[in-house]
Amino acid sequence: MHAGHVISASGHALLIGWMLFGSFSIPPEPSVEVTSVALVSNEEYAALLAAQEPPGAATDVEAPEVPETPDVGAPEVSATQDSQPEQTEPEVAEAVEQDPVPDQPAPTPPAPEEVADEAPVIEQPTQDIAALPPEPRLEPEPAPRDVPRVAPQPVERPDPDVKVDEQVQQPAEQADNAEEQREEQEATAPEEATTEIVTEAEQPKPLAPTVSKRPKARPVVQQAAVEPQPEPKPEPKPAAEPKPAAETKPEQPAAPPKQDDSDAVAAALEKALGGGETPSESPAPSGPPLTSGEKDALRVAVSSCWNTGSLSSDALRVTVEVAVSMQEDGRPNGNTIRLVSSSGGSDAAARQAFEAARRAIIRCGANGYDLPREKYGQWRDIVMTFNPEKMRIK
Amino acid sequence: MRHVTRLATAALTALTALLPLGAIAQDGPLRIEITEGVIEPLPIAVPNFVPENPAAAQMATQIARVVVDDLVGTGLFREVPASAYISPVTSFSAPVQYADWKAINAQGLVTGAVSMDPSGRLNVKFRLYDVFAGQELGDGLQFSGTEAGWRRMAHKVADAVYSRITGEGGYFDSRVVYVSETGPKDDRRKRLAIMDYDGANTQYLTDSSAIVLAPRFSPTGDRVLYTSYETGSPRIFVLDVASVGRRELPTPGGNMAFSPRFGPNGQRVVYSMEQGGNTDLFAMDINTGQSQRLTQAPSIETAPSFSPDGSQIVFESDRSGTPQLYIMPAGGGEARRISFGQGRYGTPVWSPRGDLIAFTKQSKGRFHIGVMRTDGSEERLLTASFLDEGPTWSPNGRVIMFTRETQGAQGASSLYSVDITGRNLKRVSTDSGASDPAWSPLQN
Repeated sequence: MHAGHVISASGHALLIGWMLFGSFSIPPEPSVEVTSVALVSNEEYAALLAAQEPPGAATDVEAPEVPETPDVGAPEVSATQDSQPEQTEPEVAEAVEQDPVPDQPAPTPPAPEEVADEAPVIEQPTQDIAALPPEPRLEPEPAPRDVPRVAPQPVERPDPDVKVDEQVQQPAEQADNAEEQREEQEATAPEEATTEIVTEAEQPKPLAPTVSKRPKARPVVQQAAVEPQPEPKPEPKPAAEPKPAAETKPEQPAAPPKQDDSDAVAAALEKALGGGETPSESPAPSGPPLTSGEKDALRVAVSSCWNTGSLSSDALRVTVEVAVSMQEDGRPNGNTIRLVSSSGGSDAAARQAFEAARRAIIRCGANGYDLPREKYGQWRDIVMTFNPEKMRIK
Repeated sequence: MRHVTRLATAALTALTALLPLGAIAQDGPLRIEITEGVIEPLPIAVPNFVPENPAAAQMATQIARVVVDDLVGTGLFREVPASAYISPVTSFSAPVQYADWKAINAQGLVTGAVSMDPSGRLNVKFRLYDVFAGQELGDGLQFSGTEAGWRRMAHKVADAVYSRITGEGGYFDSRVVYVSETGPKDDRRKRLAIMDYDGANTQYLTDSSAIVLAPRFSPTGDRVLYTSYETGSPRIFVLDVASVGRRELPTPGGNMAFSPRFGPNGQRVVYSMEQGGNTDLFAMDINTGQSQRLTQAPSIETAPSFSPDGSQIVFESDRSGTPQLYIMPAGGGEARRISFGQGRYGTPVWSPRGDLIAFTKQSKGRFHIGVMRTDGSEERLLTASFLDEGPTWSPNGRVIMFTRETQGAQGASSLYSVDITGRNLKRVSTDSGASDPAWSPLQN
């Protein structure tokens, strides 16, 4: 019995193998069969549908697609018959895959047992089933032009289905977004306008000092914090000392003692004085120190006007330190520019170097340097070192 | 815990106390260092000078133009055109409207006035203003001279302006002696000519009967040394510019002598002399005619040039195989080589400032005018052409004039000048072909 089972099993296996592989070896002929399929128009087509329904029943979802195809294909079938031979050729490649499916149901009668075994295999036909429906479409779509379209689409169907849904939704959203973007563009236009206005606004600077009163209030707050500390008091004095020499002497002698007594009093005096004319004393630094970027901006601004082209080679060996007091609008106070020190040359050469530096400070500051007003206390007094080493004529 | 809390509190208190200190420590004047500027011509406005009487009207305009040409010609200044002026200058004594000149970015402003006496004397006065500083640069100056010398007065004004702005002396009131060349290349006629530094007022000092070479001014500008072939072989002559009188300098044995140059005191002359096929350097007292040998080598030594202090001489020698530059004491002695670059070096000239030596360099088939420090370092070539040679320094040591000859049978020589920075290379206008320039000192 055991041997008999083995023999029968092997015999069936060989038979089935021959059926399967033999059928695969046959494919070159299916092209001939395809022609026969083309002949099958109505009755056999319905019969095929009936025969395929059982496997199709496993996937009811795709069943609705089948009715769609007959609706379209039914009327067109008559017209497609003339062009069928042409369709067959492109179908051959696909038919090779599709053919085994119809072939399998034909031999299936002896292999119903295998159907149960190949239940997972059935899943493949389900995938192919997606390809199966195209077959009816292939027939209904007679136009040679449609054929190439039909061929690639069956594989890609899931994608277009998904895409269709998304596209339907997205266009509506995009339309909304587009409108919003247009609004943004409108917003960009005014920015350009503002940049232009800014350039023009450089002239009406008298308005700026009114705004710059805010930083004055801040030092008051800081002064209150400084009050408990007696040490900071002496230091604000040196900051004020360079100023008296240059700007206003009367204010300074009055203020320092006041600071010694109480910073709050000095702050109140500053409020009363307004400080717009000559910032005599800022008992404490107002605002945070300048960032390196802000310092660089000032340095670059002055550099752009520091013309060493007309300096003698002697003057180009002199490094000068030039002190300047700034107005709140960022413009240098020309009368306060003075030579602090010089090194590397004669007095005459130092004078030329200083004059070139003075021209640079005044000329590029004519419209005010771009300095943060809230930090006015930090840049009210500036000492610029002009080192011409890189500009030197060797 | 209390102890820890107290410690923490104390630490925080100390920190809060120190923080503002740190902030205040930075509260001094903001300090920035500027190491890079721009190199561009300084915009300067020179309105026509104000004529103080009708006779000076034309001269007032002409003088202002010469001043502008002088300043702009240096490459260090740029003229603000009169069409941009907002407020005309109608009075020399009227206050300057700085705002009007600031608006057109005139950083320097020169105002002047010209008057002419009935006797024909011309008076020119001027003021220079630093517009952006809003103040006058230096005091006003006044010059007086003959009407014929109006260009010199204009040059003096320009010199003063140049000097006050740049900090170094001017060079406009100076002259150039050179070899005027006419005729085709195979029959070129040469004669000595003298002109203002800008090519005006050309005068000829010799006729073209003999070949003349290498004129050199005396330190005072009143005499010229040059080499002439009028006797058939090169001889050294000294010529008085004012009288055009000349005499030959005696050389030992009547040997050929050439390449003379005055020493800084005007009494000593160095030159090359050939003896038995060997060329060496000699020095001569121009008054006594006594010569002194400075070198004794089998090689060719020539083109000597004194340092401004008269203590050293730079010259050209091929003792190493190719012409190179050497420096030796003015009284002779061991020489040290200062040129080590590729190529051949020649015609060294010590700058009147004493810091640089200009030279001609031939390298890779091209000629260059270059400068180097007196120790041979920092060699810098300023020009390059088919043939550049014979540099001469402006009185202030800022500009070099030289000969440039074009290629080919139709090639002609002309004078060019270049700033020691290598900028502002330009041709000097001359009435004819020109070579071998020598720049005079500033005139008194």
